[in-house]
Amino acid sequence: MESNNYQLIDRKADQAAKVKLTIERTLVYIFLVFLTIICLFFFYLLFVNATRSHAEIQSGFTLIPSKHFFENFQKMWNLSGMAPVRKGLRNSFIIASISSVLTTYFSALTAYGVYAYNFKGKKFVETFILLIMMIPSQVSSVGFLEMCNEMHWTNQYWVLIVPGIAAPATFFYMIQHLRATLPLDLVEASRMDGSSEFMTFNRIVLPIMKPALAVQLIFSFVASWNNLYLPTLLITKTELKTLPTMLALLRSADFANMDNGLIYMVIFISIFPVMLVYLFLSRAIIKGVTSGSVKG
Amino acid sequence: MKKLFLGLFAALAALTLVGCRKTPAKSDSKVFHIMAWNEEFKGFFEKYVCDERAKFVEAAEKKDDSLKPKEYHYDGKLVKWTIVPSEGGQYQKSLDQHLKANETASDDEKVDMFLAEADYILKYSNSKYTTPIKDLGVYNLSNTYEYTSQVASDSKGVVKGVSFQCCPAGVIYRRSIAKAVFGTDDPAKVQEKISNWDKFNAVAADMKAKGYYMTSSFAETYRAFSNNVTQPWVNDDLKLQFDPQIEAWMAQAENFIKNEYTLTAGIWEDGCTNEMFATGKTFCWFGPAWYYNFCMGNAQDETKGCFGDWAVCEGPAYYYWGGTWLMGAAGGNDDYLVGKCMNSFINDKDVCKALVKNEGQFSNNQKANKEVAAEYEKEGTGNAFLGGQNDTKFYLDLAKRIQIKGMTIYDQYCNEGLQKAFGEFLKGAVATKADAIANFKTQLHIDCPEIVFE
Amino acid sequence: MDNIKSIRKVESNDTEPKKRIQKGVSYAKWGYIFIIPFFLVYLAFTLYPQIKTFIFSFQKYFESGLNVFGPKWNNFGNYVALFTKSENGVVMIVKAFTNTMIMWLMGAVFQFLISLVLAVFFTSSRLRLKATGFFKAVFYMPNLIMASAFAFLFYALFNTVGPINQLAQMMGWADKPIDFISTYPWSTRTLVATMNFILWFGNTTILLMAGIMGIDESLFESARMDGASSNRVFFDITLPLLKPILVYVLITSLIGGLQMYDVPYLLTKGGGEPNFSTMTIVMLLNKYLSANNYGMAGAVAVVLFVITGGLSFLVFRMIRRKDD
Repeated sequence: MESNNYQLIDRKADQAAKVKLTIERTLVYIFLVFLTIICLFFFYLLFVNATRSHAEIQSGFTLIPSKHFFENFQKMWNLSGMAPVRKGLRNSFIIASISSVLTTYFSALTAYGVYAYNFKGKKFVETFILLIMMIPSQVSSVGFLEMCNEMHWTNQYWVLIVPGIAAPATFFYMIQHLRATLPLDLVEASRMDGSSEFMTFNRIVLPIMKPALAVQLIFSFVASWNNLYLPTLLITKTELKTLPTMLALLRSADFANMDNGLIYMVIFISIFPVMLVYLFLSRAIIKGVTSGSVKG
Repeated sequence: MKKLFLGLFAALAALTLVGCRKTPAKSDSKVFHIMAWNEEFKGFFEKYVCDERAKFVEAAEKKDDSLKPKEYHYDGKLVKWTIVPSEGGQYQKSLDQHLKANETASDDEKVDMFLAEADYILKYSNSKYTTPIKDLGVYNLSNTYEYTSQVASDSKGVVKGVSFQCCPAGVIYRRSIAKAVFGTDDPAKVQEKISNWDKFNAVAADMKAKGYYMTSSFAETYRAFSNNVTQPWVNDDLKLQFDPQIEAWMAQAENFIKNEYTLTAGIWEDGCTNEMFATGKTFCWFGPAWYYNFCMGNAQDETKGCFGDWAVCEGPAYYYWGGTWLMGAAGGNDDYLVGKCMNSFINDKDVCKALVKNEGQFSNNQKANKEVAAEYEKEGTGNAFLGGQNDTKFYLDLAKRIQIKGMTIYDQYCNEGLQKAFGEFLKGAVATKADAIANFKTQLHIDCPEIVFE
Repeated sequence: MDNIKSIRKVESNDTEPKKRIQKGVSYAKWGYIFIIPFFLVYLAFTLYPQIKTFIFSFQKYFESGLNVFGPKWNNFGNYVALFTKSENGVVMIVKAFTNTMIMWLMGAVFQFLISLVLAVFFTSSRLRLKATGFFKAVFYMPNLIMASAFAFLFYALFNTVGPINQLAQMMGWADKPIDFISTYPWSTRTLVATMNFILWFGNTTILLMAGIMGIDESLFESARMDGASSNRVFFDITLPLLKPILVYVLITSLIGGLQMYDVPYLLTKGGGEPNFSTMTIVMLLNKYLSANNYGMAGAVAVVLFVITGGLSFLVFRMIRRKDD
């Protein structure tokens, strides 16, 4: 359409520009495909190794899947003893889902509290939360572990779950989202209808925040699902251990009992649920990565 | 039935009282709680001593897991395991927490017995958190090997633990390479060639000349040196000191790398174990009986391995490697059961013989080992992996000669730390030997700030 | 405090008008009620441990074997010890800081360059790329895997008997296995930086894209009308207008980078080999923590806190001065 502006003589130049664009596009695609291969390679490698037996893995490297997938899966599924993976899946799921729900809900609630109400110290509260967001989590981990040891808070899930209620980064995301999407007139209107403040939040505000909630739910779920550090130190009972802890256990198994096929299968199975969710929600997630963190 | 049991027990208690021995009383707790870092001992416990052992064996024989007992009991008490991997010091950390809380813990949580390795056993035997074995009802150590008690004694010589295995170690070598280089693969003759370190080092040069490696890890010989130190790593003034044996190891490792008698791989790395394939060019490994199954999977590989091309001899120094000690946790409910369990694994000849025959262990019962060795000798059956050598008989004498001196609670940090830091020097990651030792001290200072250096 | 305010300036310029509307609502106590859970939990599980950490940093407090030494006041003893040369002639905390920054920079340079380029590609109305959704999704995906699984794969690929070495030997590039992981400082650091790059470049791309899309489209239009080349458009329009967001992403990446831990930890099995050249600040902290030395671990944590705060403050000051 732009070519309408050109005179006939410029057609050649136009043609040249088109060729140039095609070449550029091709190069860009090649670059993108290259990066895609890098990113997918690791997942593929993981899958291939999950289909191979320990002996096959030890004997060398290949990109061709073998036929031990179901064997490895069965082994994984029937694991008992010090790493009952099935229980680990359940435990991880319980911890990750409860803590992600709590993190998301209370971050939204706090953000709403700061956003929608005028109270003394409101500005201070927001600045304060932003400030503590900057403090590396390791700073508190020293004291936290000492505290848990002192109070014998071991083998208790709540120690892994409850601290998530105070998640400064999630709060920050939520308040940004609220600013962009929630007109306070709506709150006012709901108030006129006689709705209590708490009801307003649950019935009116939360539904509006759905996209933000979904994204943070997934992020905090993944963070908790992958968490190795605290669960390793705080959970010692076999039947209460989480999946990443069990994976570490299997990897530290003695040489005689080491089964790399099994280990890859456990990695595969621990990534699988996350990937599945991601497949369906990738669009929302990618949107979410940006909407909360940067509002220009 | 229960009454009968109690009656029997009372009678037994009376009997022992006559003998003026303090026998731990039976408690009414319902749970027998054991802590360990892997499942090796759990398997033996379930198979040979727990109440359901018959069922367990039956399930194993019929290869039917559904027959396996769902729960295991010991003297009627439910056996509960807490297994924490040793990686990254997790096991000790968790164990420390449990032990410190043991007095006040609920009955279910109290640890009754736990397992410990030689590298850190002193930390526990020297503490108030373990019970002397004679208070647990273990009086007879005459069948055991002396070093196993030395290792588990506190600074006053009170024995605090009992090992269910004995791990005399030797030099495990490739018969074919021995033949190629020495013209013989007979263990006695090979032993002649490497009976002290000077001879060993000289043979390394011969190996190299014929295109072989003497060992495949610079740290392969470490334990044969470190087991024979005469002074502890850290003295009474908490000062770090290098024993001549340690110095000798460093000199040997440096020399071996320089002359390409060995490789820069660590003893657990694939670079080392891959040499065990039939295509490997390495003459020998240092290890005890458990080494064959535990570490030599590549040698036993059906297609690429070299099963039967192996033999074992004493080598240049007496040493042991590994072993698992059972210890009674102070504040536990069931001291009498801990003692009973310990006694089973050192004084019950049937259990000990079964360990040797079925589990490839070398037990901590001299008589049992001797009998099995004699049986093998009579039947002419040896260890097929070792080309028919009767290694049980071989280990009999070796085990008696091992002596341990100068252990400290810092040994694990020192031994592992030095190997790692020195390995970096040998690989070329660190420029000089002095730098490597400085790095070793730096790491040690982080781990144990109370140790002082020159 | 200053840096925080400026973040808000960058982030939320759009809040000002809405504040006026808010004045109509005055249910102030509900504001307090709604933020109570957050603060209670924060006080108990974050602030209290943080204060503890801070106190420990001034105490001699460690365990050896089963014995506990301290806690006993030690004034600045831990900090002095931390900034004293170790046996190997190096101040470990300084070394750890340098390592952390080097490895972060190595990854970040590529991460930002490539992400910026990708973001421009994805938003270019001239290129009009297809399947951008797919590419974005794939690039973001590594961020979701456990770092431990990822490190395990890298280790499997690059160890001395791994496929990379097999290939190198087969092709005759090397006659002996090359120890990529634990002998050459720059090789190990490169591996760490590469892993961090793969884990994070998708995330950065998406953030920068959002920034570019936030730029008024008409600016691009008029530039194109004027016949500006795409390079000129990038340097004269995209980059300057993207700066606030670029800075934000850079700062978050830096703060994340300062806390670098799992990737080098898992690749080197906690040691920070070779010759402590991949040991990061948090790895040092963890070394003290696993030695049950709460005093020294506390001191490292406080130093990390100060560095993080200081750096973000500095960068913001720098940016603002340029703006003026």
